[in-house]
Amino acid sequence: MNDSTETLQQTPEITRKEMDNPDKTDFRQDYISFRNYNFYYGATQVLFEVNLDIPERQVTALIGPSGCGKSTLLRNINRMNDLVDGIRHEGELLIDGTSAYDPTVEVISLRKRIGMVFQKSNPFAKSIYENVVYGLRVAGRKKKSTLDEAVETSLRRAALWDEVKDRLGESAFGLSGGQMQRLCIARAIANNPEIILMDEPCSALDPVATGKIEDLIHDLKKEYTIVIVTHNMQQAARVSDRTAFFYLGKLIEYDETEKMFMNPAQKQTEDYVRGRFG
Amino acid sequence: MSHTSPEKNEAKPLPSRFQVGKSTLYFDNFMNYAIKIGGIGVIAAICGIFIFLTYQIMPLFRGATVEFEQSLDLGDLKISAMGIDPWSQLPLFVSPDGTLNFYDIVDRDKDYNRGLFQMDPGLPEGMEYPFTRYSNHEDSAIFGTADGRFAVVQVEFESTHPDYRGREVIPKITTTPLFRIGLENGEFEEIDYVDAGRSKLAVAIQRDEEGQRRIFAVTFSQNQPLIGDPVTVRDREFELSDLFEGEAQFLRLTGDSDFVIVGTDIGELHLLARERGGFTNRQTIQPFAGRESDTIRSMNFLSGRLSLILTNEAGEMMMYSIFHSEEDDHRILGRTKEFQPALPTGQGAAYFSHTPRNKAFLVGGPNYAQIRYATTEAIRWDGDLNFTVEHALLGRRYDRLLFVDTENHLQIFTVTDPHPETGWKAYFGKIHYEGRTEPEFMWQSDGDDDFEPKLSMVPLIWGTLKGTVFAMLIAVPIALLAAFYTSQFLKPEIRRLIKPVMEIMESVPTVVLGFLAALWLAPLISARIPSVFLIILSLPMAVIAFGAILANLPIQFRKFIKPGYEFLYFAPFMMLTAYFAWQMGPLFEALFFRVENPETGEVVGSFAVWWTETTDYPVRLRNAFVVGIFMGFAIIPTIFTIAEDSMTNVPQSFRSGALALGASRWQTAISVILPTAAAGIFSAIMIGFGRAVGETMILLMATGNTPIMTANPFDGMRTLAANIAVELPEAAQGGTLYRSLFLGALLLFAFTFFINTVAEVMRQKLRDRYKAVE
Repeated sequence: MNDSTETLQQTPEITRKEMDNPDKTDFRQDYISFRNYNFYYGATQVLFEVNLDIPERQVTALIGPSGCGKSTLLRNINRMNDLVDGIRHEGELLIDGTSAYDPTVEVISLRKRIGMVFQKSNPFAKSIYENVVYGLRVAGRKKKSTLDEAVETSLRRAALWDEVKDRLGESAFGLSGGQMQRLCIARAIANNPEIILMDEPCSALDPVATGKIEDLIHDLKKEYTIVIVTHNMQQAARVSDRTAFFYLGKLIEYDETEKMFMNPAQKQTEDYVRGRFG
Repeated sequence: MSHTSPEKNEAKPLPSRFQVGKSTLYFDNFMNYAIKIGGIGVIAAICGIFIFLTYQIMPLFRGATVEFEQSLDLGDLKISAMGIDPWSQLPLFVSPDGTLNFYDIVDRDKDYNRGLFQMDPGLPEGMEYPFTRYSNHEDSAIFGTADGRFAVVQVEFESTHPDYRGREVIPKITTTPLFRIGLENGEFEEIDYVDAGRSKLAVAIQRDEEGQRRIFAVTFSQNQPLIGDPVTVRDREFELSDLFEGEAQFLRLTGDSDFVIVGTDIGELHLLARERGGFTNRQTIQPFAGRESDTIRSMNFLSGRLSLILTNEAGEMMMYSIFHSEEDDHRILGRTKEFQPALPTGQGAAYFSHTPRNKAFLVGGPNYAQIRYATTEAIRWDGDLNFTVEHALLGRRYDRLLFVDTENHLQIFTVTDPHPETGWKAYFGKIHYEGRTEPEFMWQSDGDDDFEPKLSMVPLIWGTLKGTVFAMLIAVPIALLAAFYTSQFLKPEIRRLIKPVMEIMESVPTVVLGFLAALWLAPLISARIPSVFLIILSLPMAVIAFGAILANLPIQFRKFIKPGYEFLYFAPFMMLTAYFAWQMGPLFEALFFRVENPETGEVVGSFAVWWTETTDYPVRLRNAFVVGIFMGFAIIPTIFTIAEDSMTNVPQSFRSGALALGASRWQTAISVILPTAAAGIFSAIMIGFGRAVGETMILLMATGNTPIMTANPFDGMRTLAANIAVELPEAAQGGTLYRSLFLGALLLFAFTFFINTVAEVMRQKLRDRYKAVE
């Protein structure tokens, strides 16, 4: 795995910190940081005074009942909400210390740094190969060898390589649901981002496929900061290091996952993780 | 309980709470059938239209039918020529004793039957007239004496309706004195006489004592005495024998008496022109050079005295017509048709008769007859006869065939052929029409006796395609780019405003657009064509330049332009560009389209003159270019609406996926949205195309409706749809034009049907290919 990443290293903007300083252990605790963050869809306020620091190279799970604002929060990180009508925010969102909403920030480069995996797998109507290299192609990379390398690396990381290596030219629609979702993860990884956002990535998958994705998340957190939205309490417990519980747009509690599930400080959290409502 | 036998299960009544309400079942059943009937009805309606149209045009592709009507005994009447009245009911027989005999062949009732009766034209009695000829077109008989004189007997037919017994035809006769022509004791072989008002001409072929054929012409003038009718006076005589080689065998005069056409025994055709008080040999042709036989066997005019039907000894048949040559402004004789196949017996025509009603003619040998149609070169009817033909005649109304056989019986047949001028060749073939210099596709439906209708569908199909192509050239780029921009780049709240506006635009009656196009835009644009070109050129360039500047602005400045609101900056800029381009037009014209006035040497800028000089095509007020713009406006909403829908309907997840990977809006649109929406975009274009093909009002009003076939964008055209609208008031029900319009309608129907089918099939295929994951 390591030798294939080295070829990507040659392109400066996707150079990984880890590569610069492999022994670095003091990862930033406020890698993604919401400060007094309020968010509105038109007149409806969706997020209320959120203060949340997401640490680097860890998996942070966002949990909470439907409509609590966790997906909105996730989609704020890579500004996917920009295209929605009548949105407005207050407060600050810092990514690695820079404001994501600074007018001088190019939203395109922001999104290149932040990969995203959606609830429903959404491969393009293209071949498996073209799906994986899409991010590189739109970034203007044309060299065949670079693209081939990226395809193999990303698919291997997404644990999909062995299943599809003989049919890279075939339509992505021929894959199973779980394979498609892993393809979407591979597609996100191919861009070599710093952060991967996952919006209920396993909600449409069977237990076996879910298991594979969860294993994958485990592997990936060595190199990526992962934020995952999930409805599945067990999944949050299994994959995440930290968990944030949202309720009605407010961040109720945020702590180590173990503590959140074993000994939550808040009554609401306890009720929710015990399955008393939600 | 579950082990009970099936019989017991069936017997058990269903508890009422599980039973379906009766009204629900009835309604469900009723709706099932209603929907089925509706669906089948639609399919039946389409089939019905198709069948009806086909049924209407079927007669156009049928031949003539000929049926035996009656046989009449003419006794011992001596017959040397034959003619008939304009209503085809009073055949007349010219006798060598100088009388005209009529036979009323309509048997009205028992008490009233005129049968055979004779009229005396008042020629000197006791004389023999060894030469007689009857011209059915002019209703005149020519009698030639044995001593080199001839007289013309003009017959006038009057139609009366006595006692409601149907039409009765009364012949009236006027006779000229005997005029001298040629040799005093020459035997007449042929005489032709033309009365073109003030100018009259008679030409005769005579055999002299040595058996040599010689040809003489006599001109006549008309003197108007103080009292009484004008008197025809013999003017001058010419011998024409020395103007050509060989001996004259056949002879015909053109209707304007300007030309004498002579066929010789050595198979040559001479066009002798009457000019400066004499005759000159204008042209010599060998009509059957290189054929099986080069000897002319027969030579006859079709009605109108412009086209000659020639046969040779082998039965090959050709048509030569007089038309203006392209090189000099002279009228020349040239081959316009060849009739295939040759006459079946391999001999020349033994008889020939034509009808003034159309271009059909009767031709054949002793035991067979054919009706052919000159314009289309087609055989309308072909039959063997069980008698031997002596004289043959095609009824004036193209409704009867009359034969006199060797037993002196008059054999009468009825002809039923409502659409003789039609057929595949008439509609889709290149035809050399009478008086034209070359074979052409032409539509000119208002033919009459002297003027054949020209029914080619090709110029109309051409016009339809031309109009459609120009409309599509304008509409497709604008509509697709607009749909693309609206669905992918514009703020959704503005998009919600634009769509209904476009849909309203779609419902603007096209007659309004056509009215604007014809009366407002056409004059405006034809005066400012360079301006329009400049706008078409400068707008995209300006937009691209503006976009490039914008893209290269540092983000500090660019941040003020919110994504989705770029049009606020673009629109005024584009309007300004268009305004400047419009204003710059005349300057552009003055600089680049310079032409010199050949008379004054003055150099002026004029696009219209420049275009005409460069391409040889005119610039007309109502042209395809203007039509394209307005047709474009008519079909832009259609294409826009469907294309915009298909792009907007691309699953949001595709867009999110691409955007999340760092693709710009443009990259997302091009690489993800466009391929996925391709099926919808394709069908949008095809539906727009179908609409343009069927569009009528704009084309009717703004094209000038000239059925010409040029690709010149500044010339008019006529489309199938507009043609139907234009000519419908002229079309008598069941007539040729009526059915021809139905043929146009069927073509249009087939065309749109084909396009829509192709569009649907392609759409399904593309949809399968880019099927979104559901």
